[in-house]
Amino acid sequence: MKNFHFLLSAWIAVWAVFFAYELSVASRLSKLSEDIERLKRQLKQG
Amino acid sequence: MTTARAAAIVLAKELRLEFRARELLTTTVVFALVIVVLFSFAFDPTAGESRRYGPGLLWIAFLFAGSLMLNPSFAREQSNQTLDALRMAPVSPFAILLGKMLANFIFLSVAEAILVPVFAVLYNLSLSDVAGRLILVLVLGTLGLVITGTVFSAVAAHARLRELLLPLLLLPILAPLLIAAVEATASLFAEQPALDRAWLAFLAGFDIVFLTASWLLSDYLLEE
Amino acid sequence: MKGRAAITVLAAALIFFAGYAALFVAPDEATMHEIQRVFYFHLGSWAAMYSALSVAFIANVGWLVTRNPHWDWLGVASVELGVVSCTAGLITGVLWGKPAWGIWWTWDPRLTTCFILWILYVSYLILRGLIEEPQRRATLSAIFGIFAFLDAPLVYASNRLWRGQHPSPVILGGDNSGLDPTMGKVLLITVPAVMVVMILVLVDRYRLEKLRYELEELRLVEEERGSAANSMPIKELS
Repeated sequence: MKNFHFLLSAWIAVWAVFFAYELSVASRLSKLSEDIERLKRQLKQG
Repeated sequence: MTTARAAAIVLAKELRLEFRARELLTTTVVFALVIVVLFSFAFDPTAGESRRYGPGLLWIAFLFAGSLMLNPSFAREQSNQTLDALRMAPVSPFAILLGKMLANFIFLSVAEAILVPVFAVLYNLSLSDVAGRLILVLVLGTLGLVITGTVFSAVAAHARLRELLLPLLLLPILAPLLIAAVEATASLFAEQPALDRAWLAFLAGFDIVFLTASWLLSDYLLEE
Repeated sequence: MKGRAAITVLAAALIFFAGYAALFVAPDEATMHEIQRVFYFHLGSWAAMYSALSVAFIANVGWLVTRNPHWDWLGVASVELGVVSCTAGLITGVLWGKPAWGIWWTWDPRLTTCFILWILYVSYLILRGLIEEPQRRATLSAIFGIFAFLDAPLVYASNRLWRGQHPSPVILGGDNSGLDPTMGKVLLITVPAVMVVMILVLVDRYRLEKLRYELEELRLVEEERGSAANSMPIKELS
């Protein structure tokens, strides 16, 4: 198949771009959730 | 107080402030010249090429110099906190904006009035036949630059790195204006100068759209 | 988190079917053969971008008019997704262009427009990063966002007028002029696939912004409590 590596790269690129971004968002999301839970607990005690 | 009168007062204040120092004007003119000279070193254009690259170079010089010149418009207010005083005055925010736009327009036009003849000499262009039409293109192009630039100067005034931010925000937005102005100017520098009406209309359209948007958003722009 | 797992499975399924359709269902194209199949995701990326940026415009107006923070969260989330989609579109375009035309890039109307659009919305994100105060950040970026959105059609029009001679790269079915019906059907799978992925990520980004806001609120409460505790009236001690 001619130009297969270009086709494959493009295919990977599309999903990789969204996936990489989603990974960044998801990790920040879980870290933030932790921070919020911790802060809520602190405030309840205080 | 009507918008026009308020704008006129703001305009007078801006002009008076700048006239005292005059450093903004001289710096802008010299900076634009630096760009022109640098380009000539870097690209070494021949006579024929000058005709092709001239318009583009001219407008890029204006765009860069203009976007640097626009910074002080609101930055000055910021450091002296005079913007609050302005806001409390019983005038519409749009009047303030309009006054500043007009002041910036005059500054930039004076700079251009100096630069264009110098440019014509450096690139051996004869502008006598097309002077009137060239002025029309310059006015419409400068208006677009100044309208958008004054608004973004207000936006950037509240951000860090505002000297870097203003050109970054402004130049991509002005891309259509740049194309239209360059094409219109090029049509005047050509062998048979003939002003391209389509581009002129485009420039006018650009000015109207962005002035209207500025008017609609002026309240939010200058709020607390 | 069952809902989330289900959605992830759905997205994965869509991606799989889209890929399958693009590779095996879609007919072979006469001139470019296999590489043309990038088109299905290239178009999908642009559809996702235009949708995201339209949502951003609405969110920008929404914030200015209502001052409800939800609009600001939606605004930044949709602009980021717009930039991501645009990036995907540009990358697929470049990877299609090199084998198809022999060049990575050319300054024709569509490409130039898209590149400027990318820069414009990246500038929006940079602007946001440089303004500390949340209210002001929301308002000023909303204003810039509105100008950017107004500018987009102008950029496109000016480029079109300027380079009318140069052939547009995506004549092939770009405006659905004479598109092979099977190709059309494949598009109906691939375009929604990219859009659904975009929307799912958009929702997550929105939630992230919302949580940031909540964290700030909680921090403010903590500060208030802290300063209240520090300023106990003296008579309490005696």
